Amino acid sequence: MSDAFLQLQNVKTHFPVERGIIFRRHIGEVKAVDGVSLSLLQGEILGLVGESGCGKSTLGRTILQLVPPTEGAVILAGKNLAQLKGRALRESRADFQMIFQDPYASLNPRMTVFDTLVEAIRAHKTVPSSELANRVSELMKKVGLSPRFLQKYPHEFSGGQRQRIAIARALAVEPKLIIADEPVSALDVSIQAQIINLLAQLSREMKLTLVFISHDLSVVKHISDRIAVMYVGKIVELGPATDVFEKPLHPYTKALVSAVPIPDPEREKKRLRVILSGDPPSPMNPPGGCAFHPRCACAVAECSRTVPGLDNFNAARQVACIRAKEIN
Amino acid sequence: MTAAPQPATLRPTDEIEAGHSLWQDAWHRLRKNKMAVLGGIFIILLTIASFVTPLVASDYYKHQNLDLGATPPSHAHWFGTDQLGRDLLARVLYGGCISLSVGIAATVVSVVIGVLYGTISGYIGGRLDVIMMRAVDILYSLPFVMFVILLMVIFGRNIILLFMAIGAVEWLDMARIVRGQVQSLKKQEFIEAALALGLRKRRIILRHMIPNVLGIVIIYSTLIVPSVMLLESFLSFLGFGVQPPMSSWGTLINEGAKSMEECPWLLIFPGLFFSASLFSLNFLGDGLRDALDVRASKD
Ligand SMILES: Nc1ncnc2c1ncn2[C@@H]1O[C@H](COP(=O)(O)OP(=O)(O)OP(=O)(O)O)[C@@H](O)[C@H]1O
Ligand SMILES: [Mg+2]
Repeated sequence: MSDAFLQLQNVKTHFPVERGIIFRRHIGEVKAVDGVSLSLLQGEILGLVGESGCGKSTLGRTILQLVPPTEGAVILAGKNLAQLKGRALRESRADFQMIFQDPYASLNPRMTVFDTLVEAIRAHKTVPSSELANRVSELMKKVGLSPRFLQKYPHEFSGGQRQRIAIARALAVEPKLIIADEPVSALDVSIQAQIINLLAQLSREMKLTLVFISHDLSVVKHISDRIAVMYVGKIVELGPATDVFEKPLHPYTKALVSAVPIPDPEREKKRLRVILSGDPPSPMNPPGGCAFHPRCACAVAECSRTVPGLDNFNAARQVACIRAKEIN
Repeated sequence: MTAAPQPATLRPTDEIEAGHSLWQDAWHRLRKNKMAVLGGIFIILLTIASFVTPLVASDYYKHQNLDLGATPPSHAHWFGTDQLGRDLLARVLYGGCISLSVGIAATVVSVVIGVLYGTISGYIGGRLDVIMMRAVDILYSLPFVMFVILLMVIFGRNIILLFMAIGAVEWLDMARIVRGQVQSLKKQEFIEAALALGLRKRRIILRHMIPNVLGIVIIYSTLIVPSVMLLESFLSFLGFGVQPPMSSWGTLINEGAKSMEECPWLLIFPGLFFSASLFSLNFLGDGLRDALDVRASKD
């Protein structure tokens, strides 16, 4: 795709595992992200789902250069972020921001909301003091908070309000890409929808590209344009949200989809359940071949030998399974 | 509709709700803790009295009256006098000045060393951290009283050296505590958010790290002061501390203990003041810990 806004090319992030106190021995690697290629359009919302520990957060943090990729390119608007260093990297950070999982930990408890937002606004631009108050109140209104609360501290807000503040802080630098790492998993269910809708609405209004990370397929299903399913450091299925949800291709996705409860009790009773047995493998030594084969109901001998690539299933959908055509 | 047009800008005074910083909350909680408040008041009064006395009556503590000798408390000498006829109240207050100065000075030394050392070790991490913390472990295992006594023997009985030596002993705890705090802060998402914003390292340390370790530094400082005072009095008791005619609580207690039978007031008053200030500082420290510990009391 030539009009890709964000492009990942074979991105790998491996963490070295070392033993020893002063003289460290390298004893292996955690392949948290292991060869991810992906491209997103401007304003697109991608839902990134997968079990705990599959490398979603690491992928998000790698895209934002909070951890350097071991290999591969992260190209945002034509610029390879993985090659930026020091000052150049710091300055380009205005283009991409992160929203964290825990709104209790992601705001400095010693700073007022005003100070937090002003710091973010001034991180990349010189704004005259006379204009600051205006800018800050605008941000507050954008995320649905009253500017009256500006002089309050994070602990005086509820979890949902804090997440709104964190969103406002991310918006303060006027980014083009936002990665939201499980932004609602720490919140009450009643508040989750509000925050999800706020993010979707902001993305649409501001043409923001949004990567929404979640371990729960049902959370991302409504707002995502496309969904990427991750398993042990690799993307195993990628496609339009409704397609992935209605007719999953990869056996792992099928299991994830079948775990989402259906609100209609009649259909809930009749539907087919695919139960996932066992734990996900350790990313330090994943099984050979397809990493999913030990837990897969459709696995054949070949699956333990060949590493499946993420291949086109049709024009819009991709899946990493050598038996994709047979089983679907 | 005739509603007045909403002003786009925010008027700072009439609309914004005031917030309460964690410092303010801690202050409210501290004020509710009676023992901590009493301890604090006692320490403040004692500090004022101890530091003002030597100023207004600079020589009175060593003014001898051999004809008078040791007398029990009276109208003229509220705490009595010692064998040389010196006024005990003046000597106790003067001793407080020395003991508190040693306590505070050594604490400042240990806080400065400990905070710098701990921050560097925790922030940089990796191999440097391992080496720095092993060094602390080794220093920890040395018999420090012996070390201080050795210093006193080699360099003479110098009060400056005394608190340098004590400060050098006490920074170890501070370094460990600060390092632990910095390490856990470094993993906090608001630090990562600050990095993601592209803020400079200096700003991250000044605005995000330091204000968040300050609380614990304050708590442990108030607890280091009494332990230093105890160490100083112990050394003075052994005869390695401050020398006559200067007096610290340690030397006064030492002298008092020698004539405990005939003149008990010589032991009672310095002992009372000494214990009361140790208690007060500990109550204050505990109160501060309860008040400042955000995690234990909030959420
Ligand atoms: N800094 C690090 N050093 C070493 N290993 C790491 C580091 N960060 C993550 N890992 C490892 O990488 C793997 C992927 O972690 P990651 O946090 O990306 O998973 P996740 O999908 O976000 O999981 P969760 O749903 O629990 O947030 C895990 O095995 C984790 O232990
Ligand atoms: Mg995660």
